[in-house]
Amino acid sequence: MEQVQVPPPPSPPGTAPAPRARVNGGRLRRPLLIVFLLAVLLVLLAPLTTTDQADSLGVPVLVDRSQIRILTTVAMFVVMASGWNLVGGLTGYGSFGNVAFFGLGAYTCAVAVDVHRLHLPMAAGIAFAPLVPAAFAALVGLALLRLRGHYFAIATLGTAVAVGEVVKNVDYLGGATGLFPPILHSADLLFLYLMVGAALLAVIVSRLILRSRFGYGLIAIRENEEAASVIGVNTTAYKVGAFTVAAALTGLAGGVFAVWNSFINQELGFSLDFNIQMILMAVLGGAGTLFGPVLGVIVLEFLLQNVAGRSDVAVYAQIGLGLLLAVTVIFVPRGIVDFFGGSSRLSLAHLRRALRETSA
Amino acid sequence: MQLLLQQVVLGLLIGGIYVAVAIGFSLVWGILNIVNLAHGALVMVGAYVTWLLFAHAHLDPFLSLPVVAVALFAFGYALQRILINRVIRAPLFFTLLLTFGVNLMIVNALLVLFKSDFRSVTPSYSGSGFGIASVQVPYIRLAALGVAVVLAAAVGVLLNRTRTGAAIQAVGADRDAARLVGVDLRHVYALTFAVAAACAGVAGALISTIQAITPTAGEPYTLQAFVVVVLGGLGRVGATVVGGLVFGLVETLGQTMVPGLGAGWANAIAFAILVVVLIARPQGLMGRRP
Repeated sequence: MEQVQVPPPPSPPGTAPAPRARVNGGRLRRPLLIVFLLAVLLVLLAPLTTTDQADSLGVPVLVDRSQIRILTTVAMFVVMASGWNLVGGLTGYGSFGNVAFFGLGAYTCAVAVDVHRLHLPMAAGIAFAPLVPAAFAALVGLALLRLRGHYFAIATLGTAVAVGEVVKNVDYLGGATGLFPPILHSADLLFLYLMVGAALLAVIVSRLILRSRFGYGLIAIRENEEAASVIGVNTTAYKVGAFTVAAALTGLAGGVFAVWNSFINQELGFSLDFNIQMILMAVLGGAGTLFGPVLGVIVLEFLLQNVAGRSDVAVYAQIGLGLLLAVTVIFVPRGIVDFFGGSSRLSLAHLRRALRETSA
Repeated sequence: MQLLLQQVVLGLLIGGIYVAVAIGFSLVWGILNIVNLAHGALVMVGAYVTWLLFAHAHLDPFLSLPVVAVALFAFGYALQRILINRVIRAPLFFTLLLTFGVNLMIVNALLVLFKSDFRSVTPSYSGSGFGIASVQVPYIRLAALGVAVVLAAAVGVLLNRTRTGAAIQAVGADRDAARLVGVDLRHVYALTFAVAAACAGVAGALISTIQAITPTAGEPYTLQAFVVVVLGGLGRVGATVVGGLVFGLVETLGQTMVPGLGAGWANAIAFAILVVVLIARPQGLMGRRP
């Protein structure tokens, strides 16, 4: 997972800049342009809030409800995988429980908009959604981030399971039945925009972090935490900071999901499926890189929708997911992004080498 | 007082199950440095083998223990040799991901084979027990505790009194040094995992006699095994026994004696124990400070 290219030190005057830097710049600029264009497109489309309007105007894609659902799901996982990437990829703390933040965000929003509870407008619910998970992450992060390796992974997994169980046992939060945020019939495209907006926000935040002092500090922690501490990185603050930002982003996705789905319970909010999918997407695409998680989401969603999703029995999809995990971990541990301009090519020789590097 | 005594007995008996589940988990973690997220799934494979033998061959679950152990030993050996050996030198997180993938495959293969129906193994003596001064002791749970203790002793003897055990411990202490003195690493890795899988199978056989089994019923046991190993301290069989019994005790007392909690809180209690131990005593109850 060492593939974030730390830019080479500035070359002394008179020498040509390192070719690597130029390649990286060119490689990053085009996807960033796409991010920008998507943002513009989002602003332009914003007045168009229902599929009926889209139908009457003849806008493609936005008239097909199943396409909209898939696009919204893709955007949702982009948020979650990018959020996980900040902790698991950039900081090197392999969290196994980020779905706790998703669930907390979803429940925060659901409680806020519920008619029998706070009964606030939807915008307020979504605005509150990142706050509770972020506060929770800052609090438990102080304890959990003292752990490393297996201990950290299982402790985070335990957090997710335990928080889900507590939520299920509290009547105010709907207990085992769950909560039902009001259904918004009048604007079925709105949730696509909201989720894509959240995804763009996640990518932009990741990009800002990657190129900041904060981001370099996180990478330093991943490479060698003691050394990072010695050179003056406040490791606790940095780690908890990354955990909190990841929680806020993931919680935002959860909040939008709650109103989009207009139903949330423990199984949905703290779904271990979502939990593992966001990790698999980030690792499959390329953990620690900016666009790796995005690529991973697109590839995995494509596979799930077209290969696994087509078989009527969900168990085969699950077996396929397990198989994909195994294949990814064994053959493409650096992620797909690595094949584009990275050190690896998708070739039999490379796959064999990857296998040899980690085998007994 | 009466209730407390009864719950202490039940807690220790259920602790025996946790000991059986955690022995194999601890072995793989200590020797291979892999936290096996498929451990609970292996437990369920053992439970289903027991159920098959009981339902179709009318074999007593305690008599089928050797068969289950041998079957799971072979399965575990193949699993490690073919799949998990491929990532043994990869970063820790990748072994977690791989074993999670294995877990998904096993659980869903069980769902395909057995559906999600509840199955149970009910020999004629299930449900009966004896009483000492009005404290009830169910026969099956007592026998399960006995089997768990014997299993722990057997693994202890294997590790400390045999040549194979010496090789396994050598690999756990220093892989490269072990290879230099002629240990076949791939074989020993597979052997270690196979022993762990056999233990998981035995645990599954015991579990099939005390609760209804479904393909997903093994998942809580992975988290519980982890808590038991952290609680006792990694590395010694004796520590796992202590960890399992203490965990069974605390969980049972927590669910029955603390007002407001109940059976729905099992995972939250396990997690609370985990966090407290990790922060207050990271080396475990029985471990030495590193």
